[in-house]
Amino acid sequence: MIPAEFGSTPWGRAWVRVVGATAAAGPNALLPKARSLARNHAVELTTEPGRIEARVTVSGAVQPVRVEVPMWSRQTRAEVRLLLEKSAAEQPGLIAGDLSDTVEADLRRKGIAIAAGLDDLDAECACRGRKRPCVHILATLYALAQLIDERPALAVELRGGAAEAVDPPSRWVALTALDAATFYGD
Amino acid sequence: MPSTEVPLPGRLQATFIPHENAMAWWGVPDLDGAVRDHGLPAGRAGTCRLAVADRGQVRPATVPVRLVDLDTATSALLASAPPAGHSASLRAWHEAARLPDGDAALAALAERMPAAAHAVLNREGTAIVAAAVLLTEFRQAVDARDALRSTTIHATLRPYQEHGVAWLTARSRLGQGGVLADEMGLGKTLQAICLLATRRTAGPHLVVCPTSLIGNWRREVARFAPDTPVITYHGAQRELPDTIPPGTVVITSYTVLRRETALAATRWDILVFDEAQQIKNPDAEVSRAAAKLSATAAIAMTGTPVENRLDELWAILHVTNPGLLGSRSRFRQLLAAPIEQRGSATAAATLNALVRPHLLRRTKADVAADLPPKQYSTVVCTLTDEQAQLYRQAVGRAFAEGFGVGIARRGRVLALLTELKQICNHPAQYLREPRAGTGRSGKFDRAVEMLAEIVDDGDRTLVFTQYRAMGDLLADHLTGTLGAGPIPFLHGGLSPRRRDELVRRFQEAADGPPILLLSLRAAGFGLNLTRAAHVMHYDRWWNPAVEEQATDRAHRIGQQRTVTVHTLVTGGTLEDHIAQMQEQKRGFAEVVSGDTDAALARLSDEELRAVLDLDPGAVA
Repeated sequence: MIPAEFGSTPWGRAWVRVVGATAAAGPNALLPKARSLARNHAVELTTEPGRIEARVTVSGAVQPVRVEVPMWSRQTRAEVRLLLEKSAAEQPGLIAGDLSDTVEADLRRKGIAIAAGLDDLDAECACRGRKRPCVHILATLYALAQLIDERPALAVELRGGAAEAVDPPSRWVALTALDAATFYGD
Repeated sequence: MPSTEVPLPGRLQATFIPHENAMAWWGVPDLDGAVRDHGLPAGRAGTCRLAVADRGQVRPATVPVRLVDLDTATSALLASAPPAGHSASLRAWHEAARLPDGDAALAALAERMPAAAHAVLNREGTAIVAAAVLLTEFRQAVDARDALRSTTIHATLRPYQEHGVAWLTARSRLGQGGVLADEMGLGKTLQAICLLATRRTAGPHLVVCPTSLIGNWRREVARFAPDTPVITYHGAQRELPDTIPPGTVVITSYTVLRRETALAATRWDILVFDEAQQIKNPDAEVSRAAAKLSATAAIAMTGTPVENRLDELWAILHVTNPGLLGSRSRFRQLLAAPIEQRGSATAAATLNALVRPHLLRRTKADVAADLPPKQYSTVVCTLTDEQAQLYRQAVGRAFAEGFGVGIARRGRVLALLTELKQICNHPAQYLREPRAGTGRSGKFDRAVEMLAEIVDDGDRTLVFTQYRAMGDLLADHLTGTLGAGPIPFLHGGLSPRRRDELVRRFQEAADGPPILLLSLRAAGFGLNLTRAAHVMHYDRWWNPAVEEQATDRAHRIGQQRTVTVHTLVTGGTLEDHIAQMQEQKRGFAEVVSGDTDAALARLSDEELRAVLDLDPGAVA
C-alpha cells in the first residue's frame, strides 16, 4: 500500500484535519494549491516548541509565515510523558524519532489534542490575500504534516512535550560553532 | 586553492585521520624540518582535508601533511613526554596514546582537546568530527591493531583496510552489527577474516556465502589466517560436530541456511553474510532463516551501493541491526515513501544519520592513493555436483583408454585438457548445448554475480575467454539477464570493420554496453579499452604473458583508475592445480614458465594424473 501523501501517520493526519476543517462549510479552492506548494518543495520550514516559521515561495516571491502554536499545560505534558515512557518500554523497536501509533490513540482517549484547532493558532502572513488562512499558511501546515509523518516526535515537541530523552552526542561539530581564536588551543 | 595559500598556525599540529589509519603532522611550512626537530617519525607526504583558522574564521582547507602509520605514531608518542612548548594538539595526542580505559578519562581528554586536534572535515567540508568521536575511533584502531598483532595474519593490510578492521572490531565489541559495503576489489573478505581470526574465545563464527564462493572463502581463511580452524558445511555429506570449538569458522551457503535448522541451534559469535544481496528480499525463506540465527554481532558484506535501495537496505539492516529502522511498514511510511515519492531531504537526512554509524562504504576513488595501478584477485569457484561427475568421468575414461606415445599422446592429452576446461567453464559448453543457465557451474554463477554487481556500480568490464562457444553462451545469458542491452562478443569470426565498431561503441558511445566479451586470440595489440575498470579472465591460457597482454587492453597509459583483474579458477580442478604451481613457482618447469599444454603432454601417466585428478577435499 502506498502511504498517503499528507497524513500517512495518525500524527501527521491530526494536522491535515486542521487544514481540512477550512473546507467544512464548503469547498476551499485554496487547498489543492496549498498541497501543490508543499508537494513541490515551495515551503521551507523550521520549528521550535510553540512556533512554526516558514518561507513559502510562490512564483518567485517569498512569503514569510509565522504560526504560534499553543503549548500543552504542564499537567498535559506530564501525562504525555508517562504515555511515551510506557510505550517506549513496550515497543523498543521504533526508529529514532518515531512514536507508536498506540500513543496517539491513548491521547485521543484522554482528550489530548495533538494539533491545535485553527482558532487556537496565531498565524501571520504578510500576503495581501483577503481569505484567511491564506494559501501560504495552509501550505505551511501541509508541509508541517509531512515533516511530522517523517518524524512523529515533532508533533509532541511542537506542543512543548519532550519526545526523546536526550539526543545522542553529535558526531560532527559545525565549523560555524568553532572559535577561531581558540582553534589551536594556545 | 594552492597549498601555499593555506593559512598555517606556524607550529606543528597533530590530528588522527581514521580513514588513513594514521596520525597527520601538519601546521608549518617546513614540515620535514619541524617533524625532525620534534624527534617524530617522518612518515609519508600527503594532503588531508582539515579545518584551519583563518582571519577570525574557521574554514575548510586542503593541508599538506606527513602521515605516520598508527603503530609508528603511537610508539613515538609513548616514547617521549611532550617537552613544554609543543602545540596543544600534539600534547593532546601524547595524552591520548596513554589514555586509560573507561569513558570518564576519554570524556575528560575530549573536553581539553583543541579543535585542531580533531580538525578532520566531513565530506561536505562544513563540520569537523567531535573530539570524543575521534578519540573513540583512535582507541578502537589501537585495540584492533593490538588484536591483529597477537594473531597470525599473513597479509599486509592497506591503511583503509586497517581502518575497516578497526571498525568491524568495534562494531562487534559493542555487540552491534553492521554492513561493510566497500566497492568490489577493495578486500572485504580479508577485512572480515581479520575480524574472525582475532576473536578466538567467545564462540564459533558462521560465514554464509553463495555456493560459488565457498571454496574461495575456505582458501582465503587458510591463506590469510592459517591458525584459524575451518569447517565447510555444505554438500550432501555435510556434518557439524556436537560442539564447535570457539574461534572456528564454519562456512556454509545460503542454500544450506535456507534448509537447515541445525545452524539456528548454535549460538555464534560473529555471523558474516557475504554477498548480502541474497537476503535483500525480507519475505524470502533465506532471509527469515538469516534473521533467526543468534550471534554476538552480524556483519553483512555487499559491494552494491545498498544505501540507494531503501527496501534492500531495510532488509539487510533488519538482519544485522534488528530494530534500527523499525518495522518494514513503518520504515516505508516514515522514511522510504517520503524519500522516493517526494525526494524529502529531511527524511534522507534522518535515514543517513540512522544508518551511517552502521555502514562502511569506500569506493576505489576514495582510497585511490592506497591502491596500485593494477590489482589482482583470484576468485576460487566451487564445482557443482554435475561438473564433478563429468570431470571424473572424463579423466577416468581418458586414462582407461590410454594416451599412447609420441604425437598421438600429445593430441590425446590436449583433447582431455580441453574437455576438462570446458567442464570447468560450464557443462553446457562441454555438452554442446545451445544455452547455459545458472546452478550448473560454480564459475559461471560467480562470474554472473560479479558482473551484475559491477554493472550495478556503473562500471565496465572486459571478459576474456579462449573459447568461442563459451563467449557465445556468456553473451546470450548476460544479454538475457542483466537488463543492460545486448552484450557483445568480439571474436575472430567477425569482420575487422565489425570489431572496430564493437570497440568504438564500448569505448566511446554514451549508451555503450557495460561488458565486452573478448576472445583471447582476437584481442590483439592496439585495442584501447580503457573505459573498463575491471578485467575478468573467465578461463586460463596458462601463459602469463598472453594474459597480461590482454589485461593491458584496459590498463594502458592514460588510464587514471585502478584496474582490478579478476581471475576465475575452479577449486580442486586442473585450473586450480596449475594456478598454484604458477603462483608458487614450483612444479614442472615448463608448466610454470608458460608452455603448459606441451609440458603436460610430456608427463608420465602418473604425473599427469596428479595434475588432472579432482582434489576431493576441494569439492564440497
